[in-house]
Amino acid sequence: MDDLLKHFITEAHELIQQATDDLLALERDPQAAAPMNSAFRAVHTLKGSVGLFDFAPMGLALHAAEDLLGALKEKRTSIDAHVIDILLTCLGQIERWVAEIEQAGQLPTGAADEGYRLARALRSLLDEPPIQTAVAIPEAEHEWIKELFTQESRNLVGLRPQNAPIVAIRYIPRTDSFFAGDDPIALLRSVPDLLALRVKNRDPWPPAAEFDPFACNLHIEALTGAEIESVKAVFRFVPDQVVIREITRSVESKVLGTVLNEATSRIPIGATETAGTRTLRVDAARIDRLADLIGEMVIAKNALGHLAGQISDGLDGKHLAQSLLANHAAIERLVTEMHGAVMNVRMMPMRDIFRRFPRAVREIAGQLGRAIDFTMEGEEVQADKAIVEGLFEPLLHLLRNAVGHGAEPEHLRVEAGKSAKTRIVLRALRDGDRVRVEVEDDGRGVDPVTIRETARQRGISSEENLDRLSDAEVINLIFAPGFSTASEVTDLSGRGVGMDAVRSAVERLGGQTNVQSLQGRGTTISLSLPSTIVMTKVMVVRLANELYGIPLDGIIETTFVPSSRILAIGTSEAFVLRDKTLPLLRLADLLEVPRLSVPSQVLKVMVMALGDELVGIAVDGLDQRMDVLMRPMTGILAGMPGVIGTTLLGDGKVLMILDVPELIR
Amino acid sequence: MSVRLDGNIIHLEEDCRVEDAEPLLGWLQADQTRIVDLTEVRHIHTAVLQILMAFRPAIRGTAKDTFLRDWIIPALAGGK
Repeated sequence: MDDLLKHFITEAHELIQQATDDLLALERDPQAAAPMNSAFRAVHTLKGSVGLFDFAPMGLALHAAEDLLGALKEKRTSIDAHVIDILLTCLGQIERWVAEIEQAGQLPTGAADEGYRLARALRSLLDEPPIQTAVAIPEAEHEWIKELFTQESRNLVGLRPQNAPIVAIRYIPRTDSFFAGDDPIALLRSVPDLLALRVKNRDPWPPAAEFDPFACNLHIEALTGAEIESVKAVFRFVPDQVVIREITRSVESKVLGTVLNEATSRIPIGATETAGTRTLRVDAARIDRLADLIGEMVIAKNALGHLAGQISDGLDGKHLAQSLLANHAAIERLVTEMHGAVMNVRMMPMRDIFRRFPRAVREIAGQLGRAIDFTMEGEEVQADKAIVEGLFEPLLHLLRNAVGHGAEPEHLRVEAGKSAKTRIVLRALRDGDRVRVEVEDDGRGVDPVTIRETARQRGISSEENLDRLSDAEVINLIFAPGFSTASEVTDLSGRGVGMDAVRSAVERLGGQTNVQSLQGRGTTISLSLPSTIVMTKVMVVRLANELYGIPLDGIIETTFVPSSRILAIGTSEAFVLRDKTLPLLRLADLLEVPRLSVPSQVLKVMVMALGDELVGIAVDGLDQRMDVLMRPMTGILAGMPGVIGTTLLGDGKVLMILDVPELIR
Repeated sequence: MSVRLDGNIIHLEEDCRVEDAEPLLGWLQADQTRIVDLTEVRHIHTAVLQILMAFRPAIRGTAKDTFLRDWIIPALAGGK
């Protein structure tokens, strides 16, 4: 793909997003000047960029959108939900086209028709009486159009659906147009869907003897049911000789409605996500910082060279060790800083995904007829690019649920003494070195009784287990695999994604899910995620002579258990830790490698959290803790169960990092 | 050349282009009672159409081309 097109795609995504944000802001406050200007500018810029490429349908739609925004800006047309809807529909289509261009390098077939349709839907809002706009038909022209209509009415009756617009054309070719190579009749032949045609002489015909066969003396009028834009396209080389007017016989709400319905029925919500790679835009200051660090690295490297020179000059061992240590310390500091700086480059604010949600929530709420007051907090909270982008799907699903399941119909809310609109808050906050993202609603809440019942029916958990669980614990069962079933898969929950998919998506990012709910008061689902995923703290453990890494955030403590204190319970083992009996598992068994032939007298045990329960994992040796740059498993190893990734040890050996909970499952 | 004079009948055939206007004009100027046959015509250039409109010769045959048949020839008959 050529560079220009790449830039265009990046820019287009941003401009579409900007315009969308602005339109949503305008919907909240139609009088606000800043978003109005900003939306206009964004669409105007985008239209300009589109013009550099051969994407005519896009240009057509954007041009119409720009005209409409211009009219809104000058208050020639007023802003209402309908106007915002159609503009958002247009932007949505443009966004899909950009995604298509990104994938295929060109617009899909059928884009031309869609472009005309959008342009017409947008322009019909401009044409709406009583507001006179630039596109409205001047008084002076009413006469010929009216006459044409009356004379040709017999042809029109029954041919057209009542509300379809008709385009009137008056074409007076210049006298010398034959010399210019024009053939007006041939042009008329290209007009689609012709409904009426009148060809007259402009001036009286001269006497036969003086007739000039090469002087055009015609006055042509026609009516067509075709799109005005396609009519304009036919006459694009003779714009000075033609007048083209669209006659909207009634307000085109019906046409508009059709466009909207067709558009929304075809687009699954969430289809706005674009596949493929996205460029990372980085603050220049962060790159400068990296450059500075490289400079310091070079100095540290030179110091090593200097040291090598000193050794050959006979530097003694003690001084050598000191110098090496000092050098090591300097390089270590630089590596740490370098790592921080690189992580910083990968950090992006939640805003980049959050800003896509208002539109999605609006669409979902519109489809379900729920009144939603949606707000967002903490858009500036930053996390690693992979985390932020990985959150889009799960959050979208949670928001769908909040609208679809959480929000009650307005009258029920009012009866319950709540505000008519369901409040949904999407919130991001820093929580130590983690990031917490919450979706909070003040809707109907989750009923623990129903959850218990459903869990029992679907065999999610055993009877006695369910009885033991507190209400708060029961509610968390909504994340259990198999809990959401087909009966809940509406077109919104779509694609059969249940809450367990949300949980596994979040866990893949190294996060945890939690739900709190008060019946009748609302639900808060919170996701806790690491803010970076690249650097992982691991504990290195030993099994015989093999080393393995265990992520430190899963380990609660390490302890030593004399083998005499191990209790045998059937075929399982357990031990007592501070008056609590914990199950004991041996890592060797989990990995299916042989245990040590000589059992040690004291077991080294890691206490780990497995869901809400604690479990002891016995290993042969506990080694150091370290920060590692973990590489996820790729290729044929990607699906290997129980292994999260690998890292290289200082001596060049590969350290496998284990996912103990998965091994136990 | 897509215009052909055959006795008293002027045949317009295939695609009539701008250069066909002059001979057609000549034949009609010479004899306005000549009949124009449109059976075989596919397209009539505007310059040719103008002459038919101005001289209003008797027309014979219906063009096979639907655009001419539906729109242009009726316009000829209906014009002043």
